This record gives sequence, structure tokens and C-alpha cells, in this order.
Amino acid sequence: MFNQGTDIKTFLNETGEIFRFALRFFREGFRPRYEVDEFLRQCFVIGYKSFPLVALTAFIIGLVLTMQLRPSMVNYGVEVQIPAMVGVAIVREIGPILTALIFAGKIGSSIGAELGSMKVTEQIDAMEVSGTNPFKYLVVTRSLAAMLMLPTLVILADAIALYGSYLGVNIYEPLTFKLFFKKVFDNLAYIDVIPAFIKTFFFGFAVGIVGSYKGYYSEKGTEGVGLSANSSVVVSSVLIFIIDLIAVQIADLFQ
Amino acid sequence: MKKKSINAIKLGLFVLAGLSLLIFALYLLGKNKTFFGNRFELKAHFRDVNGLLVGNNVRFSGIDVGSVQSIRIVNDTVIEVTLNLNREIKSFIRNNAEASIGTDGLIGNRVVNIEPKGGSTPFVNGGEMLPTREEVRTEQMLQTLSKTNQTVAKISEEVLATVQMVRNSSELSSLLNDKTLSYNLRASLQNLHTTTKNASVLMENAVSTFKLASEGNGTIATLLTDTTLALEVRQLVTQINTLERSADRLVKDLNGVIESVEKDINQGEGSVNALMRDSVMADRLRATIENAERGTAAFAEDMEALKSNFLFRRYFKKLEKKAAKEKEKELSN
Repeated sequence: MFNQGTDIKTFLNETGEIFRFALRFFREGFRPRYEVDEFLRQCFVIGYKSFPLVALTAFIIGLVLTMQLRPSMVNYGVEVQIPAMVGVAIVREIGPILTALIFAGKIGSSIGAELGSMKVTEQIDAMEVSGTNPFKYLVVTRSLAAMLMLPTLVILADAIALYGSYLGVNIYEPLTFKLFFKKVFDNLAYIDVIPAFIKTFFFGFAVGIVGSYKGYYSEKGTEGVGLSANSSVVVSSVLIFIIDLIAVQIADLFQ
Repeated sequence: MKKKSINAIKLGLFVLAGLSLLIFALYLLGKNKTFFGNRFELKAHFRDVNGLLVGNNVRFSGIDVGSVQSIRIVNDTVIEVTLNLNREIKSFIRNNAEASIGTDGLIGNRVVNIEPKGGSTPFVNGGEMLPTREEVRTEQMLQTLSKTNQTVAKISEEVLATVQMVRNSSELSSLLNDKTLSYNLRASLQNLHTTTKNASVLMENAVSTFKLASEGNGTIATLLTDTTLALEVRQLVTQINTLERSADRLVKDLNGVIESVEKDINQGEGSVNALMRDSVMADRLRATIENAERGTAAFAEDMEALKSNFLFRRYFKKLEKKAAKEKEKELSN
């Protein structure tokens, strides 16, 4: 009982701390001076370097989803609707959530580990002494880069997943790309694309801020680095699902 | 510094690719919607929109030309549907085109179909009210179908009963099973066939005979073709006519004889009249008859006297008794 109470206390404390950390991001992020070079470097590392991994997973999931859906669709005699169905599934849910989870695994852990090792080797303290704002230089740039890069990655991932789906359809029956494309877009509306696009900003921000928080307050030496990398992935993944749950309900209001 | 610029190019490409894809996707989605000014509106009133939603496609002769912009309830029986259509289609839709609500495929989305009705009515300008047609709904269809089914069931029951009756009727089945009947029928048909064959042969013979006759050989031909015979026949007819006339005269003569006889009778000349008109003879005849009457009366008196005579009384009494007995017998019966 005692242990559990401490756990709940720790959880609530953690939640509050992350919230405060996020507020600090907004307070400091919109004030000069801006670390533009570091931000662009982080964009390159976080966005561009993640692209091959995200592209591969997206391609595979598009192809696999199509092939898995096919038997059921054939049973109902609506295999012509596969492009429309896969299109909606990828654009609304699978593209964003899958990319965000891959992103959390790759970027969340790397941010947590990088900042954690900087923390335990007291580089952050050294930065403060040298007159550089470590929060701005490390946290704001990374979180902002994650927040802006994930939507870009999701759009590219959606496109690649749809291409994978197109190939998946073509395994069984020839279908021109133009017709596939038309079927996908005929079945899509703004209400499918825009909420899915907006929620990816929150996913990215969640990954960036949780990774930064976990690294920034890393403790217990080298062991702590591994812990912060680990917990940043776990917490950001859970947060992604919670945000998704909220996003779908808000999107539902506009339906 | 060199490495950094390469990074920037890659990053730029990456971000630009993402952004352009996003913009392209949004543009494609917006193509169906009221995004740019190339649109116009038409309206239609329906009683039942059957699950139509804002954003459903509008088709003109099967081509997607726009979407449903709004659905508004005007009153309890009228629902106004505003259609947002591509401007290019404006010069093809006439005022009398008919709007109806259908389904895309069997279980697909609802669509509004605009069907051209031909004629030379003017083209729409935008904002007009299109005439509408209510589509047959699946439920109505099923209701009619169930009614039809009931009727069919009744009919089949009756047909079954009839068939059973036919099966149970021994006469009909024996008639149907009778092999000799069909044999007889066949034989009859065969006979009929031979008869008609014979008839045709006969007809042919007749035709050839007539042909021969008309060609002028043999007695029939002479009969048919001889002109002197016709003259004789005519003479015969005139003789018959004269015979008739003489017969007439005979009848007239007879009439004259009868008339003269009647005249004789009435005017009192000749022996017949003398016989009929002699009054003396009539008087004599009357006197004779009176004498006869007187004679019979006297005889009756004599007979009464005879009855009362003792010699004959017994006989008469016996007669009376016998008559009385017979009368009694009749009464008792």
C-alpha cells in the first residue's frame, strides 16, 4: 500500500514536472535569442535522418495492410474499395500513429540519452557557466525540431504507404496508378486529412519534450542515462496514444 | 561549413517534399469542394432525401459534376437540397432536367442524379429549382415484393390443388394413359391425310376434265358449246308458256260454267231450280211427317195398355226389380 501510494505520488509529480517543463519551453522558446543553427541541425538529425527508417516501415505497412485486408474485402465482394479503405486507414490513423511510434523509439530515446549523458557529465552545468542558455540551446531546439519534423515525416510516410498499398493491389490485379490515386482521393475529405495532420504536431512535441525532460533531469550517473532513454520512449509512446484518443474525439465533433 | 550546407540542402529537400505533398493533397481534396469560384448552385425540393449527406456527389448523366452543399428542412413535407456544381456543366443542364436521389452501387453512398429530359427549354443560369422525381425506396420495393409473393403462393396452391384433382381423377388419368387412344388418333390422322390426298387427286382430275371440256371434245363439250341446243331449249320454254296460257283459259271457262249454274239456281230456270222451289211438294212432305208422329203416339198408348194387362204384368215387374237391383249395386260400390 505504501509503495503504491508513493508510485501514484511519483506519477503525479512527474506529470506536473513535465507540464511545467512544457510551459517553460513556451516561455523561453518565443523569446530571443533564437538558436537557429542548432535548430536546423536538429531538424536535419531528427527529420532527415529518420526518414529512411520511417519510409521503410511506412512502405511495409501499406503493402501488408492491403494484402491483409484483401481476403475480407473479396469475401464481401468489394475488393474495388481496397484503395479507398486503405487510403482512409493510412491517412487518418496508421500513418500518423505508426510514424510517431517509430519516431518516439528513435528520436525520444536519442534525445533522452544525449541530454542525459550531457547532464551526468555536467556539460549542461558548464554551458550555464559559459553564458549559453542550456534550455534554449538543447531543449527548445530539439523539441521544436521534433514538433515540426514529425508532421513532415508523416506526410511522406503516408505517400510511401499508399505507394506500398498500390503495389499490394497490383500483386493480385492490374490497376493503373491514376485510378488507384483517384479512388483514394475520392474517398478522402478535409475532415480526414486536417485533424490527422494537426495531431502529428502534438505527437512530435510530446516526443521532443518528454525526451528532453527525461534527459535534462537525468540522475544516477551512467545508469541514469539508460533509464532516461528508456522511460522517455515509454512515456512519449503512451502520451502519443492519449493524444490520439483526445484528437479523435475532437475531430469527431467536426464530423 | 561545407558539410553544413549539404545538410541544409538535404533538409530543405526533405521539408519541401513534405510540404508540397501536403499542399498537393489539399488541392486535390479541394477540387471537389467549393474552393475556387468556378461553381454555381441549383436547388431541388424532395420529400425524402433518404440519408443524403452534405458532400455527397451530384451526377449529371452519370458524370460527377459537383456535390451537395446543404440540406435544409423547409416544412414537414419539403426538404430543400442545394447542389454545388461545376461551372463547365452549366451550358448542358436545361431547366427541365430532373433531379433524383439514388445510390452509388448497391450499398454505396447516396448520390443526386440529374437527368436531362431533352426538349428545347432554356439552359439554367444558377439558383433555379430543378423538378424532382422520387426514387423507389428499397422498403417500398420489398413491400410490393411481399404482396406479389403472397399472390404467387395463393396461385401455386390453387395450381397444386388442380394438379392433384387431375391426378386423382381416374377418368382423366385413364384417358391420358390410354395408349390405344393415341394410336386411334394417329390412325385417324393418317386416314384424314390419305383422304385429303385423294381429295386433291380428285380435284386435279376435275380440273383436267373441265379443261378438256372447255377445249371442245366429247358430249359435255358439245353440250356446253352447242348454240342450236340453246335455241331449242328456248323454243321449249315458249311452248311451255303457251301451254300455261291455254290452261288459264280452261280455268276461266270452268268458272263461267259454275257461274251460269249459280245463276240458274237463283233466277228459277231449269230442273234444279224446279226441284228446290216446289212448295206443294214441301206441304205434302210435312203432312206425311205429321201422320207418322200421330201413328207413334197411338202405338205408345197401346203399349201402356199392354203393361197393365195381367198377362204381361209379371214380365214388366221382373224388369223393374232387375233395374232396381243394379242401381243398388252401383251405389254400394
